[in-house]
Amino acid sequence: MDSFLRILFSSLETGSFYALAALGIIIIFRTSVIQNFSIGAIGMFNAFIATYILMEWGVPTWVAAIIAMLVAIIVGIVIDFAIMRPSKKVTRINKEIMTLGLIIIFIGISPMIFGVLPLKFGRFIEGSMKILGIHVDYNTILNISIGIIVMVLFVLFLQKTKCGLAVRVTASNETAARLMGVPSKNITTAAWAVGAALSTLAALMLAPRITVNTAMMNGVQVNALIACVLGGFQTFYGPVIGAYVISLGRNVLIYYLPHLGIEWLDSSWADPILYLLILLFIVIRPNGIIGKKIIKKV
Amino acid sequence: MKTREINSYTSNRKTNINYMIFGAVIAILPLLNGFGIIQSSTMTILGTVMFYSIVAMGLTILLGFSGLVSLGTAGFMGLGSYMAAYFTEDMKLPFLLSLLISVLVPVIIGVLVGLVSLRIEGYYLAIATLAVSEIIRRLFDIDKFTHGYSGKNGNYPIIFGLELDKSYTFILITIVLVLIMILSNNFLNAQTGRALLAMKGSEAAAQAMGINLLKYKLTAFGIATLYASLGGVLYNHFVNYTYPDTWNLLLSLNFIGIIIIGGMRSLSGAVLGTFIVFGFPELVLKEIPGIANIDGLQYVMSGVFLIIIILFYPGGAINIFKDIKDTSKKVLQKILKKPQEAEVGS
Repeated sequence: MDSFLRILFSSLETGSFYALAALGIIIIFRTSVIQNFSIGAIGMFNAFIATYILMEWGVPTWVAAIIAMLVAIIVGIVIDFAIMRPSKKVTRINKEIMTLGLIIIFIGISPMIFGVLPLKFGRFIEGSMKILGIHVDYNTILNISIGIIVMVLFVLFLQKTKCGLAVRVTASNETAARLMGVPSKNITTAAWAVGAALSTLAALMLAPRITVNTAMMNGVQVNALIACVLGGFQTFYGPVIGAYVISLGRNVLIYYLPHLGIEWLDSSWADPILYLLILLFIVIRPNGIIGKKIIKKV
Repeated sequence: MKTREINSYTSNRKTNINYMIFGAVIAILPLLNGFGIIQSSTMTILGTVMFYSIVAMGLTILLGFSGLVSLGTAGFMGLGSYMAAYFTEDMKLPFLLSLLISVLVPVIIGVLVGLVSLRIEGYYLAIATLAVSEIIRRLFDIDKFTHGYSGKNGNYPIIFGLELDKSYTFILITIVLVLIMILSNNFLNAQTGRALLAMKGSEAAAQAMGINLLKYKLTAFGIATLYASLGGVLYNHFVNYTYPDTWNLLLSLNFIGIIIIGGMRSLSGAVLGTFIVFGFPELVLKEIPGIANIDGLQYVMSGVFLIIIILFYPGGAINIFKDIKDTSKKVLQKILKKPQEAEVGS
């Protein structure tokens, strides 16, 4: 029971990293119809900025985090203005490869500005408490709650506000949205800003567990992409569910695989087995957990 | 119809001869290296560009001609590389036998992925191939076969008792590259290529025309993995070292980047794209004084360059040559026309 609770808390925590990144991917996907491969790199770059601010200015961790997220919003807007808007004639997959160019730029530029040594970004709060007989760090609880609060706010924003309606309209049909007077260009820019900020938040929540380095978001990026596929691209909440499912599945496999008593089967096989299961799931349900079937017209 | 086929046959032969000339020019380079005109590091980079080109051509056929996405290229390439290393280093098998096995196994897996592609498409297929690649990549951590994170050493190939050195391996890669280009050119300009293109245009229409989707999807995936693993084998025998983290998602994305930069539906585009992505930063950007002085700027510039090319040449950099030809023609015409106009004016 103890171990299960531990797995549950850990899964909720890592799940919120994946879910935030997946939200960043899906909001950009829905508004500009491109798969953004660079969301992890953007988060990584801004995590460097937060760490730099933390070390140079000596401000509290949360102040550094907020400044980094503001920078991320600017980064997102700049990317949209500099690259996505001029590329009207460029096809979808070419735009996706441009985000690959962005990865190269961010991975190249970070060590140039901040040095090659791995940096440490502290936790938001220290200490731990006892829940149902196991020790849980305050920081874990904070991460879980940030994840859930952001998700709830996001869904409320999309469903209840006028801006959210504009986002949904743009997502379902951009041309029609523009005809109806929705400023779809501004919506896309805002989506890039929000996506970058969400990814930065995920990176900063992840940062205390590992060091801040150029490869820190690779795992999150891959898992967030897979979460989007698992949850389906048609809804905003599908990828979030996918993210938590992946996180839980991964942690359960990591914990229980060595307990199966098979000699060579250690926890490093968790990811391959998880991916294999997801692969089988996609083959059986090609549109993901929540995915609606898109009827193709010939 | 008959004349058209004959035309395509002759133009096809012309392209093949061009490929051979291209290969012959490149095969001279080791000789120049022997004279000290070309540096050894330049040779290494060009060799790298060549085996990456083979892999990229596989993706040209898969994505450019058949419209199927794969994010698993790096995994298959790595598999070929590791298998070649294991068979020649640990099991001491002859080069050609090891080549055969280390290409065959990835192809079988690739064909299985092709079966998956019958059911899912687009991003779902991309992620499915990514999953396959990640599973393969995890196999590289098994210490017993791969030496895990200390990396695995390889060797230069031995063909029929003849031990090749670096220059000869370079020539071997060139020969393989030209053979692959000719082979691909031939079947892409024949029935297979037309069937693949029809499938890319519309699967339903292709099916209605009597094209067997199963057959051609499996063919496309088989060829792509064949080229990827072949590139991996050559990688191992040329670089002589392979490391688990080389074969990650970024490399697979790089290959998609290559064929988009070079030109989606052109074999020479794949080679040009590979040169731009892997050769250009090392050979050209490094030589520009301002960039070479600052550490890492060269890497950043290659990213900027990638974006600029896609922004201005959405159809691929292979069109640059056409544009140069057209503009030079225009300029020539202008120069030739001007005196005549002056005469008329007077």
